[in-house]
Amino acid sequence: MADSPSVTFAADIRSGSKAESSMSSFESFQFQRAGSRIGTPAGVARVSTRRSASERFGSLCDLRDEAARFVYINDAERTSAPPARLPDNSVHTTKYSVLTFIPRNLYEQFHRVAYVYFLILAALNQVPQLGVFSPAASILPLAFVLGVTAVKDAYEDWRRHLSDKTENSRTASVLVGGVFRPKRWKDIQVGEVVRVVANETLPCDIVLLSTSDPTGVAYVQTINLDGESNLKTRYAKLETIPTPPEALAGVIKCEKPNRNIYGFLATVDLDGRRAVSLGPSNIVLRGCELKNTTWAIGVAVYTGRDTKVMLNSSGAPSKRSRLETHMNREIIVLAVVLVLLCSIVSLLTGIWLGDHSDEFGVIPYFRKRDFSSNDPDGTYKWYGASAQVAFTFMMGVIQFQVMIPIALIISMELVRVGQAYFMVQDKHMFDGKRQAKFQCRALNINEDLGQIKYVFSDKTGTLTKNRMEFRCASVHGGDFSDTDGGDGHSVTEEDGVVLRPKTAVKTDPKLVALLKDGAGAKADSARDFFLTLATCNTIVPIVIDGGTADPGVRLVEYQGESPDEQALVYAAAAYGYTLVERTSGHIIIDVFGTRQRYEVLGLHEFDSDRKRMSVIIGCPDKTVMLFVKGADSSMFGVIDKTINSDLVQATEKHLHSYSSLGLRTLVIGMRELSQAEFQEWQMAYEKASTALLGRGNLLRGVAANIERNLRLLGASGIEDKLQDGVPEAIEKLRQAGIKVWVLTGDKQETAISIGYSCKLLTREMTQIVINSHSRDSCTKSLDDAISMVDKFQSFSTDSQARVPLALIIDGNSLVYIFDTDREEKLFEVAIACDVVLCCRVAPLQKAGIVDLIKKRTSDMTLAIGDGANDVSMIQMADVGIGISGQEGRQAVMASDFAMGQFRFLVPLLLVHGHWNYQRMGYMILYNFYRNATFVFMLFWYVLYTGFTLTTAITEWSSVLYSVIYTAVPTIVVAILDKDLGRRTLLKYPQLYGAGQCEENYNLRLFIFIMMDSVWQSLAIFFIPYLAYRKSVIDGASLGDLWTLSVVILVNIHLAMDVIRWNWITHAAIWGSIVATWICVMIIDSIPIMPGFWAIYKVMGTGLFWALLLAVTVAGMIPHFAAKAFKEYFTPSDIQIAREMEKWQDTHDVTHPEVQMSTVVRV
Amino acid sequence: MNSHAAGTSNGGSGDAGGAGAGAARRNTRMPKYSKFTQQELPACKPILTPKWVVSVFFIVGVIFVPIGVVSLLAARDVVEIIDRYDEACVPGNMTENKLAYIQNSSIPKDCTRTLMVTKDMKQPIFVYYQLDNFYQNHRRYVKSRNDAQLRDPSKANKTSACEPEKTTADGKPIVPCGLIAWSLFNDTYIFARGNENLTVDKKHISWKSDREHKFGKDVYPSNFQNGSLIGGAKLDPNISLSEQEDLIVWMRTAALPTFRKLYGRIYVDLKENDNITVRLSNNYNTYSFGGKKKLVLSTATWLGGKNDFLGYTYLIVGGLCIFLAFAFTLLYFIKPRKLGDHNYLSWNRHPAGR
Repeated sequence: MADSPSVTFAADIRSGSKAESSMSSFESFQFQRAGSRIGTPAGVARVSTRRSASERFGSLCDLRDEAARFVYINDAERTSAPPARLPDNSVHTTKYSVLTFIPRNLYEQFHRVAYVYFLILAALNQVPQLGVFSPAASILPLAFVLGVTAVKDAYEDWRRHLSDKTENSRTASVLVGGVFRPKRWKDIQVGEVVRVVANETLPCDIVLLSTSDPTGVAYVQTINLDGESNLKTRYAKLETIPTPPEALAGVIKCEKPNRNIYGFLATVDLDGRRAVSLGPSNIVLRGCELKNTTWAIGVAVYTGRDTKVMLNSSGAPSKRSRLETHMNREIIVLAVVLVLLCSIVSLLTGIWLGDHSDEFGVIPYFRKRDFSSNDPDGTYKWYGASAQVAFTFMMGVIQFQVMIPIALIISMELVRVGQAYFMVQDKHMFDGKRQAKFQCRALNINEDLGQIKYVFSDKTGTLTKNRMEFRCASVHGGDFSDTDGGDGHSVTEEDGVVLRPKTAVKTDPKLVALLKDGAGAKADSARDFFLTLATCNTIVPIVIDGGTADPGVRLVEYQGESPDEQALVYAAAAYGYTLVERTSGHIIIDVFGTRQRYEVLGLHEFDSDRKRMSVIIGCPDKTVMLFVKGADSSMFGVIDKTINSDLVQATEKHLHSYSSLGLRTLVIGMRELSQAEFQEWQMAYEKASTALLGRGNLLRGVAANIERNLRLLGASGIEDKLQDGVPEAIEKLRQAGIKVWVLTGDKQETAISIGYSCKLLTREMTQIVINSHSRDSCTKSLDDAISMVDKFQSFSTDSQARVPLALIIDGNSLVYIFDTDREEKLFEVAIACDVVLCCRVAPLQKAGIVDLIKKRTSDMTLAIGDGANDVSMIQMADVGIGISGQEGRQAVMASDFAMGQFRFLVPLLLVHGHWNYQRMGYMILYNFYRNATFVFMLFWYVLYTGFTLTTAITEWSSVLYSVIYTAVPTIVVAILDKDLGRRTLLKYPQLYGAGQCEENYNLRLFIFIMMDSVWQSLAIFFIPYLAYRKSVIDGASLGDLWTLSVVILVNIHLAMDVIRWNWITHAAIWGSIVATWICVMIIDSIPIMPGFWAIYKVMGTGLFWALLLAVTVAGMIPHFAAKAFKEYFTPSDIQIAREMEKWQDTHDVTHPEVQMSTVVRV
Repeated sequence: MNSHAAGTSNGGSGDAGGAGAGAARRNTRMPKYSKFTQQELPACKPILTPKWVVSVFFIVGVIFVPIGVVSLLAARDVVEIIDRYDEACVPGNMTENKLAYIQNSSIPKDCTRTLMVTKDMKQPIFVYYQLDNFYQNHRRYVKSRNDAQLRDPSKANKTSACEPEKTTADGKPIVPCGLIAWSLFNDTYIFARGNENLTVDKKHISWKSDREHKFGKDVYPSNFQNGSLIGGAKLDPNISLSEQEDLIVWMRTAALPTFRKLYGRIYVDLKENDNITVRLSNNYNTYSFGGKKKLVLSTATWLGGKNDFLGYTYLIVGGLCIFLAFAFTLLYFIKPRKLGDHNYLSWNRHPAGR
């Protein structure tokens, strides 16, 4: 305990001060090895990381005039006068207006490189010498995909426009000419005074001036802002309360608008008097609701797009899926093939031109010379042989451009939207308790869910419910952990109405007896203990009406930011110390039926350096007390151990046993302050709290100064219950070959016991514990660990039953390891272990651990967490998942997917991830194949046209091919096809391995499907070619035959690979063949097309039908034979599971329940 | 029951844990259950079982082989007489300089060929001319036409894309314009068997759709073939395009560089060993690019002309399928596997693997 651990990571959290920073305020978390030392404390650490962040923010930033905004209270005109030019309160979440839609939308869409490629080709095509397609046909595919996206964007924007309109026309009560009048939200100006009544939503960010509470307290609910449903306390400054709003004049100097919703720094200068400082507790943000406060009056400081909620409403982070990265590799291969084809054609052109150089002046089909002009040397489209070769090359690129599949990009987008729809709609991922649907925030990494190898999980709120329950207490060296004392004392009379805490807590009868009737030091300690629990917190008691059937009973609900504190206050109430009322100046506690008023003289909020909080209380008997609670590591440093060392030892022993039960522990201490001490403190406190520079640091110094020589009262143990289904989920993930790492701020013992209870750790595992206090010992234990791993690994090669290993490492050791560049060794050990448990890690360390794996392996990582402290980890991992839980929405805002429960990870990865990956992988391969088949077919024909890039297929069919003729079936299949049913995938989690080892998309499959594509193009081209050689066949008829053959062939290829045929699949596949046929007929019904009526003519001949059949069968034989062979003789696990699914179907239908129960047991 | 539960749980919002199930049903954001949204639409899951694979191959083979045989027989039935005359019709003194021969209009181009009928030929007998090595699908060539002009007399001026046969030297539009029309084939054939003239019916050799919709009844050739370089046939300016059937046939550009075009039909049965005398005028210049000209007399079947390829394709594909059917049957017997046996799953095969 000597080198008291400190956390310095918060010093890095400054991005919030920059309005232009693009992501949440936690974005600029960078993992700095040197900077971060030791993890967060146990217990209350979690919630408070962000509180401390905001507080620190305030202290770090001094407010210079040029970086400030001046708000003149009650004088909107002056406030908004140039050069300030502040926006009004209207919000515009729309991206476009009617005028700007087309240019802006196009500009945004052309950020995709592929579109630029197609645009360049379309532009090249407009050069007369290179005109392969007619201008209309050449831009059609690009225009089509741009159009589809534009319509989608326009629709979304229209929806946003409508919601903006409703929002902007809501009314608020604004002070105009001395009277409050209703005014539309969008007309509110900075500097105007706004009045809000209970349950109203704030129209803009306001600084509180006064409230219905005489002390200026207002309670707000910030659920719209950060998802936290509990009440937060905000205060009006005492200086502004007495003045009526219409008489108020002054200037607020506040920082420029920024994204940090937990920070605010300003001063208010009333009529030139002393400037009063304002902090985050004085501002109420747009989107909050006023609760339990009749009215509140404030001055608007940020409006419209400057409000913090608007600044924070940025979209999801954009990541790129693994599959897409791999896809780019194959696109490069295709580009090389494209260049190769064009080179061949231009080379052959060159040879042909050389051979015929003396003839083409008059060759009827070439006719270099133009006799119509008077120039005897006039030529027709002739620019010299070398230019012809170059043009041929470029025309080749235009002609064969679909080799790079343009429709694939838009198809992937549509498919992801479809997949996301089904994920969101899945009732198995709906959290009934919180009414929370699954959320897909990032729409471009769906398929990554099927390839995860590492899951990094937070513990509190993710594995556990983050609903704290007080379980046991160690008071004055005595352990009280029985729970058979009933639901506690807990009833308080008030005007004949019984008040009862909403959550009952089981009590220990011995402790109850001790409190009631005990005497002596132990009983006094116990009373002080519970008094501390009831006072040393920021909980607000709220009386709910009609919560019970009995009208004589009203429930008291404790609202606060920390679930631990809530649990402690409920516990105190159960033992007879009921917190009844809190104002900014005092609290009222009902002690065994007698109400006592305690003055709150000072409060040192929790911060992660001190890892404790304290209050200074003026008791009814005029003594001044300091009550402190905090993490054991920090508390034992400030406790006066000389008083009773036995007591300290006993408490430490209890703490150890609590944490090995998986309980979160807090140590409680107190001290009576002498009058001199109190006054000295008061002066320092006041000085610090009004300081403009470094306020937070000063306050921390004051706190550290007073929190010493404490008398140890005891310790508490709070249970955080596991979420439903967590052990089963972890078991399933492990079976699926996913390594689950748990990263927690809790103590080692707590972490291990939670590890056991969620089946992460099992008894047969060998634990490697690295828990060092110094660099040297850390190095040593790491080396030991490596030798141990080597030993076990050498065992495992021959013996069947491998001993599973678990690595347990704490934040301290991690710091040493990262400091001394032993990451490589740690990585070796960690990789060899089945389970890794990191305890007492700081948020940045979490990201560092994820990075450790990400940097060294190509395996996919997933991070899941619920709190602000998980944000860095969520953003670091390939896939970030936020649990929308008790701790606000920071994690959800940073995540790619959000859900209600940890156990939903199982259906998400094993079912949807597997499907998404399989579908997307197949779709990409299929798109490559189908476009390549078409291009190869065109290429073979070019060899028989004097290498002049003519196509027999009409240009309209060539451009429609990839966007209409064959696009719909692949999209439908990629959204709806399922290789295996949900039940099978959950029953055999090992099937998830298909995605981890990239079974559905790899270079081998790509090569195979390309070979198939070459063969099929050969069949499509050469069978009709040889059959029609030396015949009267005309280009258009043969072109139509080829169009239909290729469309039928690629659709049948798809049909052969479809696994589940439902009516939609049938409709899409057969429908698109019919649609193609209709399109060809329509094109051939236009008299000015050269190929007029060809399809009707050719369909009248027997040869056409005979060839169509021959092409289809000959083209499909290799694929069919290879598929039949592979599926039977070298079956993949998925194939076997499919067969099992099919043959056992009847069994499952009749006994679904039996099936389910075995799933659980496996 | 349910409604009652819902009423009470609305009050106590946070603690709905226990009361959940029944109450949640009414006031819930839970996705509505449907087979579609849960991706459980009834579906057929075909699996390639040995039975299926073998029967598919076998059935395809059984269907394809007879079709192949029938097509082969049909192709064998077609009688085809091909005569290449472009070399033979050059006078002996000019074989070294064929271009000079064909370009000199003062040299008479008449030429007589005798064809021997190898087998009885039933009428109608199709008369084709066949050009080899003539790229009617050459990019410069196929694009050089304007279809609007051919339909509509008012669009005679629309000669875009017709270069280099767009306008005459003094700027008048050519109808029909473009290289394709300009290079219209102009050899003619007159057939006789002994002394009996065999009339060639040149009516309806083109597509009906072309005559009726593509080539205008009131569009007449103008300024055609007036340039300094004559590409081929001249057209009678008094006959409308829709009746210029040779032009219509020629304008249906061939797909491949070796092609035939219908010249006419002979409605007379020919006997084996008949000698047919063909008096032809060898006007068309294929000498400049090494093209060949052939005269083809052929009967037709439902499959078109004499081409064995389709029959062989069907026989080969059918044969291959039957072979594969047997091969797979054999393989299935040699290396059988029970379908859907979980013992084959990789983690069951190597328990230590994971």
